[in-house]
Amino acid sequence: MGLLRVEGLAKNFGAIRAVDIISFEVRAGEIYGLLGPNGAGKTTTISMISGLLKPDAGEVFVGGARFGSDPQQAKRHMGVVPQDLALYEELTGRENLEFWGRLAGLSAVEAKRRATELLEALALTERARDAVKTYSGGMKRRINLGCALLHRPPLLLLDEPTVGIDPQGRANILEFIGRLRTGGTGILYTTHYLEEAESLCHRIGIIDHGRLLAEGTLKELQERLGGDRVFVLEADFKDTSPEAWDGFHERFRVLQKSECQLVVAALGSRDPSACLKDLLNLPVRIANVMVKRPSLNDVFLQLTGRDLRE
Amino acid sequence: MKSILVIGHNDLRLFFKSKAAYVWLFAVPLMFVYFVGAVNRGPGDPANRKPPVLVENLDTNFLGRVFLDELGAQGMWLLDPTNRGSAARTVRIPPDFTRNVLQGKPTKVEYAEREDSAEADAALLELRLVRALIALNSHLLETVTRFGPLERLTENELRQAMNRPDPVTLNAHFAGRHPVPAGFNFSVPAILVMYLMMNLLIFGGATLAAERRNGVIKRLMVYPVTHAAVVLGKIYGLLLLGAAQTLFLLAAGKYAFGVNVGANLPGVILVLLEFSWVAGSLGVLAGSLLPAEDRVAGICVLASLLMAALGGCWWPLELAPPALKAVAFCLPTGWALQALHQLISFGGGLGATVKPLLVLAAYGVGANLLAARFFRS
Repeated sequence: MGLLRVEGLAKNFGAIRAVDIISFEVRAGEIYGLLGPNGAGKTTTISMISGLLKPDAGEVFVGGARFGSDPQQAKRHMGVVPQDLALYEELTGRENLEFWGRLAGLSAVEAKRRATELLEALALTERARDAVKTYSGGMKRRINLGCALLHRPPLLLLDEPTVGIDPQGRANILEFIGRLRTGGTGILYTTHYLEEAESLCHRIGIIDHGRLLAEGTLKELQERLGGDRVFVLEADFKDTSPEAWDGFHERFRVLQKSECQLVVAALGSRDPSACLKDLLNLPVRIANVMVKRPSLNDVFLQLTGRDLRE
Repeated sequence: MKSILVIGHNDLRLFFKSKAAYVWLFAVPLMFVYFVGAVNRGPGDPANRKPPVLVENLDTNFLGRVFLDELGAQGMWLLDPTNRGSAARTVRIPPDFTRNVLQGKPTKVEYAEREDSAEADAALLELRLVRALIALNSHLLETVTRFGPLERLTENELRQAMNRPDPVTLNAHFAGRHPVPAGFNFSVPAILVMYLMMNLLIFGGATLAAERRNGVIKRLMVYPVTHAAVVLGKIYGLLLLGAAQTLFLLAAGKYAFGVNVGANLPGVILVLLEFSWVAGSLGVLAGSLLPAEDRVAGICVLASLLMAALGGCWWPLELAPPALKAVAFCLPTGWALQALHQLISFGGGLGATVKPLLVLAAYGVGANLLAARFFRS
């Protein structure tokens, strides 16, 4: 049984279908990544799971219990880190932590004790008595994360927690999240950064236009492309169509085609050199060929026909 | 319940982190209390004014001193020649005042008009001077009757007669209407009501709008806290803020401006706390209805000034025409001030404030329900 189970969740905003019947599960000690571009429906999904938005359809189960049957109890099991820095900038880091801990139900003494521990874990002890408004972006992100952890929730919902910070700050946060996962916390992690999803998440759901297009481990998703190699061809493809090439579709899957570039994945388990030979024999003058391991972006490309970075 | 207290206490801490809060909660209202009180009063109890009079006592014997005491007892503020600035009239007691009176000879106390003096004060002084002269003659007559001839009269005998209780006294009250609250007795409650409404509306509304903009309200809602607890926590924080301002201005009113709230202090505090609850609820409602801090500030300043003016915070309602009085009693400021004047200026007890308290409670419940209805994250 997962810590979090989402079944057939859907949400409309007027005529816009923000989330279109998605289902997934987050287990204890697992980081489940919800990967998609801005506007894909990630935040709306987290808002429905945390009770901020009422779903038009579907159910959320937290710790096996239906969220709607006892929302307060379900909320006690989860910590939510919003994408925005939802902090009291005039208060110190310690005061922020203690306030959110008290609100989660801790006594004043317990909130104080856990705030001290968290400040240490987040490497913020030296700045604990400074107002948050004086913090750097990375420090604010760390406090933003810490505020959701005072009551030690078994389930953590992280909505793009590293947006807008420098690589060092991002690395610190990702390392901290990794430690939480090791401690048994189940984490739902939304992001539009491919690298984060690839390096951090055990399972990944790819979401676009409100629909969960695919999910699985990184390896499972890569295998959807039909092999472990992707070929990027550069040539003039303006007046050509791969459909017209004899036998091409039995050997390759087109991931993306533009006027000057064609991205394909090899089908089956053929040797890369054989694939390369086939591609160089295509009836088009190839200017350059690049071979690489398939990334999540290639999976996204295959699923949506566009680049996640666009 | 715990979450309401946690939210309220945190909000109070946040308010006091801002330097502007100290200015608007304490410094500015204090200046307004002084300014409004000063222009609305002369010296003395506003309900029993003591107009200033310049006294030149040239008599070196006791009767001049006794006469001065009688002038003071009749309600004059006696100034000596070194402090003549604000006196409306001058009273001059001649050098041979005691000797002439004790010899039964008529003697003249000079009463001179001063230019630029207030007519109302001058009329009051003339009345009180006449009363003082009649009183002195009465005391002399009584002393002569009890102790013997006038020429052997001593100061001690005269003062004994003066200190005896009057066999007949007149206890006068205003019939059918209240006296007009004036001076600091008017300005302390009026400015307190005005600034409670203004600060709680603006702080409550702007803070809520800002917290909604930066996502804090949304974050509150993902914690195991009910919608009602968040609304009540916000109102509770504003109530605490109102209590802090109330205690400060009442203390300043008592110790700096001499306003006597002691006899009815619990009633005064009860009225002001209830009014703070109403104002805080309206602040949360404003923050829920209006989208941004600047809009909240603009509209709340306008609304609170209007409610203050129409509710009687700028001038006593007793001086206002009936139509304005009717408007005042459509506003929480009008009811709060009515209750406070009952307690501070008219000598009423808590019983006299039952109706205003009930009306304010109705406003509070209504504002609470609306604030909860329109509250959004």
